[in-house]
Amino acid sequence: MGVTECNYIAMREFRRRVAVGPKPRSWLPKLAVTVIFLLPILLISPKTYITLTISGLAMGMLLFLVSSGFSLIFGFLSVLNLAHGALFAWGAYIGFTAFSFIDKWTGWGGSNLIFSNILIFLLALVAAGIGVAILGVVTERLVIRPVYGSHLFQIFITVGAMTVMEELIRIIWGPNDEPMPVPLSFIGSWDIFDVVVSKYPLIVIVIGLILYLIVYTILRRTRLGMIVRAGVENPEMVQVMGHNIYRYFTGVFAAGSALAAIGGGMWATFVKSIHPAMGGEVIVFALVVAIIGGLGSMTGSMVGALMVGLSYNYVAYLVPKGALGITMLLLVIILSIRPTGLFPEGT
Amino acid sequence: MSKENLNPVQTFRLREKEDRFRNPYFFLRILLLAFFLVTPFLFRSFEILDVVLKIIIFSALVASYDVILGYTGIVSLGHVLYFGIGCYFVGVFMGKLGWTSYSHLTLAFLMAIVISGILSVLIGLFSLRIRAIFFAMVTLAFMEFTFILSSQLRSITGGEDGISFKLPGILAIDFSYGKFLGIEFTGRLISYYFILILSFILFLLMLRFVHSPVGRVLQSIRDNEQRSIALGYRTYLFQVIASSFASCVAAVTGGCFAMWVRYVSPDSSLSVSIMLDVLLMVIVGGMGTLYGGIFGAAFLMVTRAFLPKLQVLIASLLPGVPFAIRLSERWLFYFGLLFIIIVYFFPKGIVGTAQEIIARRKDEDK
Amino acid sequence: MEADPVAEPVLKVEGIHTFIGKHHILQGVSFDVYPGKVTVLLGRNGAGKTTTLRSIMGLLSTSQGTILFQNQAIHHMKSFEIARLGIGFVPEDRGLFNLLTVEENFRVAMLQEDEGSHQRLEFILDIFPDLKRFWKAKAGVLSGGQKQMLAIARPLVNRNELLLIDEPSKGLAPIAIEHLIEAILRLKEHTMIILVEQNFYMASRLGDDFHLFDDGRTVHKGQMEELVQNEELKKRYLGISST
Repeated sequence: MGVTECNYIAMREFRRRVAVGPKPRSWLPKLAVTVIFLLPILLISPKTYITLTISGLAMGMLLFLVSSGFSLIFGFLSVLNLAHGALFAWGAYIGFTAFSFIDKWTGWGGSNLIFSNILIFLLALVAAGIGVAILGVVTERLVIRPVYGSHLFQIFITVGAMTVMEELIRIIWGPNDEPMPVPLSFIGSWDIFDVVVSKYPLIVIVIGLILYLIVYTILRRTRLGMIVRAGVENPEMVQVMGHNIYRYFTGVFAAGSALAAIGGGMWATFVKSIHPAMGGEVIVFALVVAIIGGLGSMTGSMVGALMVGLSYNYVAYLVPKGALGITMLLLVIILSIRPTGLFPEGT
Repeated sequence: MSKENLNPVQTFRLREKEDRFRNPYFFLRILLLAFFLVTPFLFRSFEILDVVLKIIIFSALVASYDVILGYTGIVSLGHVLYFGIGCYFVGVFMGKLGWTSYSHLTLAFLMAIVISGILSVLIGLFSLRIRAIFFAMVTLAFMEFTFILSSQLRSITGGEDGISFKLPGILAIDFSYGKFLGIEFTGRLISYYFILILSFILFLLMLRFVHSPVGRVLQSIRDNEQRSIALGYRTYLFQVIASSFASCVAAVTGGCFAMWVRYVSPDSSLSVSIMLDVLLMVIVGGMGTLYGGIFGAAFLMVTRAFLPKLQVLIASLLPGVPFAIRLSERWLFYFGLLFIIIVYFFPKGIVGTAQEIIARRKDEDK
Repeated sequence: MEADPVAEPVLKVEGIHTFIGKHHILQGVSFDVYPGKVTVLLGRNGAGKTTTLRSIMGLLSTSQGTILFQNQAIHHMKSFEIARLGIGFVPEDRGLFNLLTVEENFRVAMLQEDEGSHQRLEFILDIFPDLKRFWKAKAGVLSGGQKQMLAIARPLVNRNELLLIDEPSKGLAPIAIEHLIEAILRLKEHTMIILVEQNFYMASRLGDDFHLFDDGRTVHKGQMEELVQNEELKKRYLGISST
């Protein structure tokens, strides 16, 4: 090799190294999302496209809330929590109870004032988040701690926990479906340039984005988040540096559970009903989203969730029975190209 | 093959074969088989016969799951998919298509086996190379997907309502041959024996598979995959073989189940709750012991049949408050608690822990 | 050679046994570590050196024996508690957070982000200037030698009395090893070091005291200068023969 070639290679190597980290084929997620966003334009009329996109984004946000908790718990604690769906359901039920309770005393749910509607809605979600966070902490201490380190036993024991939690819902609230109350001003839609834009999905999107930004900021800009990110990569080393990682485990578990709970509350308002088995229905989607996005990655959950939400809605319109198929197809395609999911652990 | 020229491995295996009949467990198993054979004569109640046969069918299913979980070390959460395929082939052939003859029944079984085998090979090729827990989740997702698919394709699968059907000839309910030893030889009875014999054969097949050279390689893969690869085994290939064998067995058990209940629907053959049941049976019975499946299945079926009765009893004792009534009604709740306790205290399953205790006692005696 | 005044050992390891699963790895390991010295643990692969470090750090539990640090029993304490007492650990695989930047790696290592830690950081970057250059880069892009520097530098942001370093020379080019030796020699003045090393040259340059490991036991100890001369010991326990 001549001198000039050596220099060239050395330059490239230096430039590569000074850049912010190697990212294998980082164009893939962007390409995937773009394709999913744009392809349907060819097939659907613009107005319907906008409506579908909004509901797709909303569904995506809800899926993000559920799967991000699962993904983070798996990434940080290396725990497979199959009871996550049950936490989702509990969030919906606590939200339901909180809403009904507050409404009975203040009537904010049925009022016309947007402000009171928003207030009661947020309070119900906060109640759900806190309640399930507590439930999550209890679950982590009692059920998860004994099985750290063995994914197989985590599967076993969390399945048992899921059964218990679901049955507890049936015991406390009864086994039947209940209609979920929706704040008055959230119902309905606006007509913008002949396009029907439902109000509630927009609210879901906004809240979802806010929560994503909160989580993102905590992870990226705070010391706590930094330690969590370090722990996703190497929990042992974090211990060795003097941080009680078990406290962080519990905290992350609580946070992940709270996210799922908020997702549950908003999902219930979206479909306007709650039933005890709703956890089981959503867990599969959450799993698929988490796998597609990459376990342990917040951004991955968001991107994966949006992909699944959007594709589901578009295909449901075009080929009604094929909606589920497209989700599975996405899973197969993404795993074939990148077996670890779109975003590797910890990003 | 003279005794002097055998290498150590062959000597060991030869001795193992000879010891087989002196093993005390062997007689226990013969006893169990005898019990299953005479059950219809011991218990005249149909309900008990139903429970016993379900134990038999699910023992075979759980054993097939144990082949991949306990012996090969693959965690699949979608094994019941193949069970469902077996159910549906029988159901669709007999019911929807109205092909009621013995040869059609056989064809249904054969097709179920073939499709299950191919499907598991495809899924294996695709997902066994990704991380183990991914595989678990992907298989779960596939099973859920098929569940929803079968609920939606009404024209083929009868949708959520499912398909009811009749069995041909001597297996049909209304067939009667006359009395023998005090009981009537109905189609039900004949189906019972047919399924019993079929399950027995399946069990023998699985035992043979697990103790064969292939089976031993699988165990070595389970224990230390890196080592097996270093020894030159294409672990991946073996895992796919084990997976397809287990899925074919599961398909046959599915067919048997459909035959017995003469009904197939997504809930009864493809639901996640069946998969959970299998998990439960495996954990109670113990992994890596095919016979544990029998114990686990027995445990689950008996409690399933027995607990609701217990619950009615308790409900009659408690006050009429809705909460209290529901507390007693949801026996599944206590079941879940019991399950968690079992996983916590008996990680090797009841059978596995028992084996361990016995082995430890033997060590102490020495 | 002036003999050092007899000082109290800061770390006392006495007769520890450690099991990993069924395997009885450590079958009686004892040694003391004195202030101001670099203590080197030598021995063949699998002799139990890494296991000893991990046992001290609380990552493995000892079934027998005691470990005293500043006369406090630490063998039943949890790793993070042990770290807070002032013991730093640099594992064999370096334990870097590759997805975090060099800066974040240091910040995670700090027990508290205070004045003292930042002053120590200034000092460290003086010894390891390369790390300053790559301050905002992800740790994963550093070269092998730089990664090792980061791994050793990290625990120093805390007031660590004792540093456990496991095979730092692994996979490094000779010149990187030289840099490493110089850096560790500068560190010696500020903190006690227990070094596990296969590279005898490095061990001999850095070590003051040595302990030989064989089959999970400590079998020999002494001053480093003696070991360098002792061909028989070197051959028997380390498989080194100077021809």
